[in-house]
Amino acid sequence: MDPSMLASLSDEDKAAMDKMLETVQMRDSLRLYNTLVERCFNNCVDSFRRKTLDKTEETCVKRCVEKFLKHTGRVSLRFQEINGGLATPD
Amino acid sequence: MPKGGEEAVNMAQQEMEFRVDMFSRLTAACFEKCIGRSYKDSELNVGENSCIDRCVAKYWQVTGIVGQMLGGAQFPGK
Repeated sequence: MDPSMLASLSDEDKAAMDKMLETVQMRDSLRLYNTLVERCFNNCVDSFRRKTLDKTEETCVKRCVEKFLKHTGRVSLRFQEINGGLATPD
Repeated sequence: MPKGGEEAVNMAQQEMEFRVDMFSRLTAACFEKCIGRSYKDSELNVGENSCIDRCVAKYWQVTGIVGQMLGGAQFPGK
């Protein structure tokens, strides 16, 4: 899909295209959320003597989330460079 | 169906898929954590039951933490 093709779409089609993008991004955000929870839970929580997280586990989870988000950011950057800037931001 | 109704169904579908996905991952994670692989017995024992209860509670807590860090407002689920 190249820019010139997008430019020649009708207004209705452009709106549909925008809606589609929004839907895809929303689905991806939700998937990211679930992926993060699963990944960080698996890596940080190993004991079940109590039903609440202890300080160590909580810190681990927070660091895991931050690290993953930074990692995703960097991957995005490189991907855009390699891909010629057509990838969606965020 | 009028445009507005279609939009509502789409959003509801996204939310539903999200919840189903979360439940699926939660179930798999706690099975991995709590149920040993030798499968000596087909019934869940007391230890496994407690582990599952606590695992679900902890997983849910992690869900809340991650939700906050990702910017609460845009993510559904309570």
